[in-house]
Amino acid sequence: MIDPYYLQQLAIGLSLGMTYALMAIGFTLIFGVLNVVNFAHGEVYTLGAFAGLVLISATAPPIFAVIFIALAIGAMAGFSLERIAFKPFRRFTDEASLKSRAMRESTLLSSLAVSIVVREALEIVFGSQMRSVPFEYLINTPVRIGPVILVTGDFIIFGVAAVMLIGLQYLLTRTRIGLSIRAVSNNPLGAKYVGIDTDRTIIMTFVVGSMMGAAAGILTGLYYGAIFPAMGFVPGIKAFVAMVMGGLSSIPGAVICALILGISESMATTFVSSGWSDMVAYGFLILTLIFFPNGLFGARRERV
Amino acid sequence: MTALKTASLAALMTAALAGTALTTGTALAADTVKIGYQLPLTGETAQYGQDFRKAAEIALTEFNASGKPFKAEIVFEDSRSDAKEGTNIARKFVDDKEIVGVLGDFTSGVSMASAQVYKDAGMPQLSQTASHPDYTKISKYQFRNIATQAQEGPYNAKWMLSKGYKNIAVIAEQTDWGQSVVSGFSDGVKANGGTVVFSEFFNRGLKDYRSLISKLERAKPDAIYTGFFYEDGAQFLRQVQQLGIKTPVYSTSAAYSPKLIELAGEAAEGVHLTSNFLPTDPAPHIQHFVTEWKAASNGAVPGQFPAQAYDAVRIMLAAVEKAYPNPTREKVRDALAQTKDFAGVTGKTSFSADREAEKELVKVEVKGGAFVPVAD
Repeated sequence: MIDPYYLQQLAIGLSLGMTYALMAIGFTLIFGVLNVVNFAHGEVYTLGAFAGLVLISATAPPIFAVIFIALAIGAMAGFSLERIAFKPFRRFTDEASLKSRAMRESTLLSSLAVSIVVREALEIVFGSQMRSVPFEYLINTPVRIGPVILVTGDFIIFGVAAVMLIGLQYLLTRTRIGLSIRAVSNNPLGAKYVGIDTDRTIIMTFVVGSMMGAAAGILTGLYYGAIFPAMGFVPGIKAFVAMVMGGLSSIPGAVICALILGISESMATTFVSSGWSDMVAYGFLILTLIFFPNGLFGARRERV
Repeated sequence: MTALKTASLAALMTAALAGTALTTGTALAADTVKIGYQLPLTGETAQYGQDFRKAAEIALTEFNASGKPFKAEIVFEDSRSDAKEGTNIARKFVDDKEIVGVLGDFTSGVSMASAQVYKDAGMPQLSQTASHPDYTKISKYQFRNIATQAQEGPYNAKWMLSKGYKNIAVIAEQTDWGQSVVSGFSDGVKANGGTVVFSEFFNRGLKDYRSLISKLERAKPDAIYTGFFYEDGAQFLRQVQQLGIKTPVYSTSAAYSPKLIELAGEAAEGVHLTSNFLPTDPAPHIQHFVTEWKAASNGAVPGQFPAQAYDAVRIMLAAVEKAYPNPTREKVRDALAQTKDFAGVTGKTSFSADREAEKELVKVEVKGGAFVPVAD
């Protein structure tokens, strides 16, 4: 018989991993297509959470309306983000520029700039204090399963993450837009030559990825009951680690690695001081980079 | 990732520098005395710094409106709770010959780093919140307007032991301050015959405390003593409730903020802590501050930290007034050291020979969604 304590830690780790996975899905999708890290993903997450909170405080809407507005704001944020931080760097369409790493990597800084501006703007508008979510909207009513205690939010987040993952796999393999996303991700220049509208595909990827980011933000906000401008930073780092571990562009890989990360963190708390549990994520990142430069699931180098 | 973090910090810094050299006060008056205030106005602890500035502005406006022979001016600088930034600000303040005294910083770590500069330059420094025992030991120029954990820890230890809790678990944030919480309290528990069965640190801003709580409960403590601020506190309390744990939770005055109850809701019920400021106290000067604060912050009730900042500014201004005319840094320091029974909103404050604020602590329990003073 296993000590119930470890079962509880395992359950906590899984639910922690789920919140990382939620964020990692959208993050990895965008990386898969553009091959650059979108540093503003954490802020899209925060924007989604604030959009939901503003709606909740204004009108007391049903929960699905909250999710819907978060998705809508996410879509808008993704569109504008692409327009401001990514599109200007694609204005040269000659072959040299399209292949240039420098052109692509300059979006690292432009997305970072957008993320700083958004975060500071949120701080000016809403203040940097943590804002509470009205209690009736929280998704953390305890649920007891045998010796283990979870909360309702764990199941909701699990469900949403599963739907996102399956929906995305369907979108990518069965629909035209998914096929064009994969084509652009494989070879942007080639996709352009065969007549795929690469601009439109990239915009769509941002919209879909950011909707997922925003949904992750509002769900995590309702789950932990606190929404504040800097909330996207830590999950952003964890999602980044999960993405690198998963092989940079494999979405299922990122999800599995997010779960591994969550479980390792909660298990590590048993053996080392909680103050060191962040070391787990960074330790994994370093080990992956040294021993599996292609990530744990990236050996085949398939994209998206 | 580290390089990226550095890059983002560098970018933040430029953004911050551009917007923070703010000054308030009347520069037109014939005679103006300048005071520096270093505090986090941006970054993760910005909410505290913003509150301090608001409290300082209330105190400053009152002072300048009260017909004193000179006008005071406060120069606010944003330290982002970063020790390096704090030291830079300290050098800047020291170089400004007109500044005769400095308030801040927020955290013990930054206050202590800056204190090294003030020590060499002979600049009096009064922090509203730095409660690490070593802070005032740096030099004769460091003062504080907060009870230290060396005072509060043993006080709380006796309180908990008198309630019959013998085996106590201690957790605190991983900072200079958090370490002083654990050591101050643990010494008090041991000296009075109790046992600390578990002690651990966590990182500020941790979201999920459930692993830590499960681990802590394995030690089967009678009660939990915590060193956290309200954001971490609210998450912790909520997750204690989620896991169905009924062990009583005690905390320090640092968690004393209306935001704790707002964020934690009914999970905050029954939490015991100490404080030296009660916004419900009917004394006129306290009610005056509460009214002014509410007017400046959409009706929100002030917590203990803004009250300490308000008092710190007033203590500093009183010292400057005593050193007037021709106040120098040395004269202001001596005047500060002589502060006796200053009637502030956080009780009467005197500085002891080692520049510690001697404060009375009040025992408080959260009952029915409010902080209620209790006898034991």
